Amino acid sequence: MNNTFFVCFTSKPANSIIRRLLVLGFAGLLLFAGFNSLSANTTSPSNDSKDITGSGNLQEILIRGKVTAAETREALPGVNVSIKGTTTGTVTNLNGEYELAVPATDAVLVFQYVGYLTEEITVGEQTTIDIQLVVDIIQLGDVVVVGYGTMRKNDLTGSISSVSSEELHNGVITTTEQMLQGKVAGLTVIKGSGDPAEGATMRLRGGTSLSAGSSPLVVVDGIPGVDINTIQPSDIQSIDVLKDASAAAIYGSRGANGVVIITTGRKEKGKLVEYNGYAAFGKPSNYLDLLSADEWRQKVEEYNKTRAIDWESDTDWQKEITQNSVSQSHNISFSNANENGGFRASLTYMNNEGIVKTSYLERLGASLSGFSYGLNDKLKLDFGVHTTFDNYNPVNRAVFERAYNVNPTAPVFDSTGAYFQTEGNIAENPVEILMNVNNDNTTKRILGFAKAELEIIKGLKASVNTSYEYHSHQGRYYLPTYSRFGTPDGGYANRSVGDYANMQLETYLTYEKELMGAHRINIMGGYSYLDNTYEGFMSQRRTFDTDLFLYNNLGAGLDYRTDDVSSYKGNAKLISFFGRANYSYRGRYILTATVRRDGSSRFGANNKWGLFPSVAVAWRISDEAFLSSTSDWLTLLKLRAGYGITGSQEAIGEYKTLALLGTVGGKYYDPETETWKASYSPVQNANPDLKWETTTQTNIGFDIGLFNKLSATIDIYQKLTSDLLFTYSVPQPPNLYHETLANVGELSNKGVELTINWTVMQRGDLRWDVNLSMARNIMKIEKLSGGVYETDAVQSGSLHGLRGMSNQYAQTIREGYAVGTFWGQECTGLNENGKFLDVNGNVLDSQADSLNKDLGNPQPKFTLGFSTGLTYKNFDLSISAYGFFGHKVLNATAMSMNDQTRFPALNVPHKMFNDSITSAPTFSSYWIEDASFFRLQSVTLGYSFHFKNIGIERLRLYVMGENLFVITQYSGLDPEIKIEEYDSSTGKMDALRNPGIDRYDIYPRPRTVSVGINLLF
Amino acid sequence: MNSKSVILALAFALIAPACTNLDEEFFSVVPSSEYGVTPDEIKTIAGSAYASLRGFADDVSNCYPASEYVYFLIEAVSDEFCVPQRGSDWYDNGRYQDAQTHNIKPDNAMVLSAWKYCYAGISTCNFVIQSIEQSGLPEQEEEIAKAEIRGIRAYYYYLLMDWFGNVPLSTSFAETELPANSGRAQVYQFVESELLGIADLLQPQIEYGRFTQNVAYTLLARLYINSGVFINTERWQDCLDACDKVSGYELTDNVLDNFIQENQHSDEIIFAIPYDHKEGTVGNYFLSLTYHYNHWQAISASAGGWSWSVNGPCAQPGVYSSFEEGDERIASMCEGIQYNIVTKEPILDRTGAVLNYTENIENFYDAREYEGVRISKYQTKEGDVGERDNDWVLMRYAEILMMKAECLVRLGRAAEAYPVVAQLRTRSGLASTPNPITLEVLDTEWLHEFLFEGIRRSVNIRFGTYFEPWWEKPNTTPVEKAIFPIPATELVKNNKLVQNPGY
Repeated sequence: MNNTFFVCFTSKPANSIIRRLLVLGFAGLLLFAGFNSLSANTTSPSNDSKDITGSGNLQEILIRGKVTAAETREALPGVNVSIKGTTTGTVTNLNGEYELAVPATDAVLVFQYVGYLTEEITVGEQTTIDIQLVVDIIQLGDVVVVGYGTMRKNDLTGSISSVSSEELHNGVITTTEQMLQGKVAGLTVIKGSGDPAEGATMRLRGGTSLSAGSSPLVVVDGIPGVDINTIQPSDIQSIDVLKDASAAAIYGSRGANGVVIITTGRKEKGKLVEYNGYAAFGKPSNYLDLLSADEWRQKVEEYNKTRAIDWESDTDWQKEITQNSVSQSHNISFSNANENGGFRASLTYMNNEGIVKTSYLERLGASLSGFSYGLNDKLKLDFGVHTTFDNYNPVNRAVFERAYNVNPTAPVFDSTGAYFQTEGNIAENPVEILMNVNNDNTTKRILGFAKAELEIIKGLKASVNTSYEYHSHQGRYYLPTYSRFGTPDGGYANRSVGDYANMQLETYLTYEKELMGAHRINIMGGYSYLDNTYEGFMSQRRTFDTDLFLYNNLGAGLDYRTDDVSSYKGNAKLISFFGRANYSYRGRYILTATVRRDGSSRFGANNKWGLFPSVAVAWRISDEAFLSSTSDWLTLLKLRAGYGITGSQEAIGEYKTLALLGTVGGKYYDPETETWKASYSPVQNANPDLKWETTTQTNIGFDIGLFNKLSATIDIYQKLTSDLLFTYSVPQPPNLYHETLANVGELSNKGVELTINWTVMQRGDLRWDVNLSMARNIMKIEKLSGGVYETDAVQSGSLHGLRGMSNQYAQTIREGYAVGTFWGQECTGLNENGKFLDVNGNVLDSQADSLNKDLGNPQPKFTLGFSTGLTYKNFDLSISAYGFFGHKVLNATAMSMNDQTRFPALNVPHKMFNDSITSAPTFSSYWIEDASFFRLQSVTLGYSFHFKNIGIERLRLYVMGENLFVITQYSGLDPEIKIEEYDSSTGKMDALRNPGIDRYDIYPRPRTVSVGINLLF
Repeated sequence: MNSKSVILALAFALIAPACTNLDEEFFSVVPSSEYGVTPDEIKTIAGSAYASLRGFADDVSNCYPASEYVYFLIEAVSDEFCVPQRGSDWYDNGRYQDAQTHNIKPDNAMVLSAWKYCYAGISTCNFVIQSIEQSGLPEQEEEIAKAEIRGIRAYYYYLLMDWFGNVPLSTSFAETELPANSGRAQVYQFVESELLGIADLLQPQIEYGRFTQNVAYTLLARLYINSGVFINTERWQDCLDACDKVSGYELTDNVLDNFIQENQHSDEIIFAIPYDHKEGTVGNYFLSLTYHYNHWQAISASAGGWSWSVNGPCAQPGVYSSFEEGDERIASMCEGIQYNIVTKEPILDRTGAVLNYTENIENFYDAREYEGVRISKYQTKEGDVGERDNDWVLMRYAEILMMKAECLVRLGRAAEAYPVVAQLRTRSGLASTPNPITLEVLDTEWLHEFLFEGIRRSVNIRFGTYFEPWWEKPNTTPVEKAIFPIPATELVKNNKLVQNPGY
């Protein structure tokens, strides 16, 4: 049986190999479990409160009591109550109650509970001991989830930020990333719009790629590479972010952008039913300042515009395309667990309406997980499924430009009730665009996993994790025959399906041993196999006799074209060996070393395998004898230093190393048959050297604890990404294709991060906490050219599509500057005729390249996260806010709109007349703005009731306001502009697509007020 | 059985699986090493050389011979065409204005498009030739199969030599060295010897859209008629001889019959790039760039595919009025008030005024919406969309006639040229023809017959008018600017390249 694992399956399709591996792995474990259970004692049925002491000793004193949380006064089930110096103990039941027999009055009871400070009480004459446990803000004893295992927080050597579910941002969340917004120093979470159907991007410590996204690897319950939105916010228990290379190197070629580890929720003991729900009411938080119909008429008169067309109506087009939104979310979960195992089930329904008409995201999420112990608690099995089903309508972003363009005197409807149209190709009625389309998308995500952990001998554990993750996206699109955009085709229907599947097997052994009370070692080694398959299909048809079918009957379309059908499929494999050793001497000196060897089918023939090592040390200075005198105030002082190499393979994609042929050249006309036939030509040059992007990172950090009230973490890091992937334009000939993907450049990020958690006040019923995170990052491209791949500067930030700016670029990728650096002329203002002036006082000529200079870049220089929580009796108040500072945004919307030739045919901002701009739209520093902002993300006020007598543990009602204000100098709609964009042609994020450019397509962010309920029983 | 040994064996099994195979599995892509082995596969590869004639678009530029920017470039530097700036539209970093004033800079996007168009085509041809050589066809068949592709490659090199002069000659796909410039004469010599070398291998009959013997001789005639420009040696007689080898064509009844949407049935077209947007062809959207935003009303009952007509290029002032009364070829342009096809009412422009295309353009740098007569050579029809179906005409029989006439005049045989020119003028409704035929007459005839067909630049250079001032080109053009600069980005990528003199 075991030999099967040694067979290298070369001839079979990957799917069946993986499937066999999974099945065999499990069959092995289950067989073993069965074999062993024959001789094992069956575990006795459990009680909610179990006394594991021997009984019958008459001299014992029976102590009863109840353990509650000091903060909430809620009962704490599952608290360990033990007699100091013995192994005798019990745990509290659901009501927090316990009973324990102690041998004598001098016995000391120890109360221990994860996340709370341990209390010790001498029994004395008492027989009832009720106790309140206090939350341990320093969380010294916490366990932190790291790759392939957990570690005691004490033993950590890397830079890891942990966020518990209480700290995670709540509220109207449409993408799980948003929960981390402003919570982790150095992690920027940007949701570039208020569109509920659009995702957020995460970026840790700057980016590490020019041509791909720089999102961290997401690990859910030990499964790497999961789509974060598979997991619903309410199911998350904690998130750990591995920031430096020494922590992330265990994930090798996928670790360069850091790792976000999500642990989903489950009570280890006891029974719980929970309901969380809210209703949220949103409205647009901002509008552009444009002329109203009356102002338009006034300006037409004032400027004597004789040929202006007044359509005799009064329309605020921005208001016409937006709405007040009503959203709701419901989550119900229940769990039941004891020493032998347990389960948790959770169901979420959310309907999030956008503030732009017709936009929405509706989600049904369900998860079910269970665990069971066996073999005298030596075996732990964990199974689970997380699913989400989304329906959404991503609105056509073209409506924003139209809403700004269309003449305000034009009505939405004409006298017959039909949508009114002015003429022109960028002034179509935006309400019509929103309404006359059917765009019904669905995304289904399923993550199933099965894990087994077996304690072979004391301290030695074998783990097998298998998982299957599947996403399926379906697009359904129909433009009716009567719609403005559908008329040319006589109706247009499109259906698309894209599937994605990850199958993963990971096995590893962990050995933990403590020697002579002073040395603790923890060694882990393992193997991982990942098979990713994606495939898709698209079909479209035009010209329908009826609109009745929508997108449901493509066959009814009369017009057939070559491009109407397409499909694709691809596969990638990642195979890894990894190991970690952690050594701690008296908990004071700690050393961690990791290594991972990754092989990927994406890599070129000459670089199939990469090695990613790391090493880190930590020193708990506060535990040294020479600091014993300060231990009453300096509760923790820890120095950490780490170095490691990680990689990123996002920018490669599949089959990029090979010379490929394709049909992109199109068909050719065959005169013999008078038909069109397919032609095949080179579409990619070979590059057998292609490999991952390598990031070398050094991190030095301090953890400080003061008075048990304040903890601070400071990290300083330096990252150098080499072998940067970029698609180089290459001379053709000798190359067959005009561009080649190659590892050439270097990019550096340097920075410092500070996190402070401070309990400002804790007195009786009052508690006040403040959390602050700050980060500063400097990004620089060190090198762009090398060997045969030469380029002095690459243009990015295309302005193509803006009037008069085709093939113009706002940004230049250049050695010595950050990605997305705006490169152009400085404008010193306007002359008396309203023309832009250059630095020499001449009228600015955008062609005068010699005057071009660095005009700043869109990478935030400084980020800040702030949150505070105040509880008093049953009230709770929390505020959370974040800000980005020092980044620049090109307000291309303003650049295009402040154009006198637009008026009166198209609407213009007041600014155009106020500033008397007469120049044609010209790219210069005039339109680049400091987009620093500070956003009040949310304010929540809650009140909790306790109705113990009817079985309700806790009922909390709250009201929350989100995005209440933004402090910024930025004049556009919103200063939080995305810094990387999804490129639909490659299916990947692209850091060079319009980073920091506000160009007509900003979906305004809502201001939201919501009311919600949390119910526990 | 000792349970511990089982546990250990199992544990070992779990962490030590040995599968480390990382070979790619192919589904919807094909590596070039695995394609091109059957005759049918070879055919599809050879087809890519023809498909390459339509050009392509990449992130940096549109390289379309029928539109942006290959066609734009060669037309905008001639005296028949201009791209006025209209408000903030059509400024585009001054690229059209620099073409108008013959002040083109190496970073001009249009120049890069022209360069990339040719070299992408050449690379494709080199690859096709290599694939044919490796296919194992019998030698005679292999030579025949290669001949057409060598012809297309010679066409690309002709364009490069004409536009850029000194360009790298790369004839083998196997070369990996960066190539250096060859002199213009060397490229000229290559084009000539290739065309002569393949002529007898090519299809002698007329076969539409293929590189036939007739196409080779037409291209050879073009090479010879411009020999004085290219290599400083006049070869009028050689041109005449090449023209005489082109046979089997006749003039259509009306010149514009060559430019209808179903123009593949024309008896006059020698070589064209076939288009059919329903087959997925792209790059033939020039008409949507020249017409006014609201011009669709003159063509279609609904806005339809005209939704992005963007009011761009037009005829240079002076061209429209140079036509004689009764010359049917004036229909290549669209002038005056435009009428709604349904209501028959005049169409309004965006300011509410009647759309009335005028020949005059008051200010090249700030033209009004209606100024400039529009290029209207290709047919428009109800239901047209942006991408069009007419084949793009590269060579037609009238050009053979005009080349003959010019050579005869140049050789002092103007009397023999008279009936040839008269034949063309008669077809277009002109009863009389100037006699004797002079170079001046020929110049005008070239303009009127081949208006907007991409030939004018060559004629301007050959007749020397290229270097004289004209509308919105106040200065004389230095002789070295008859060729374009090597694109700046190409110089960066290939350090063996040398910039053309004068740039």
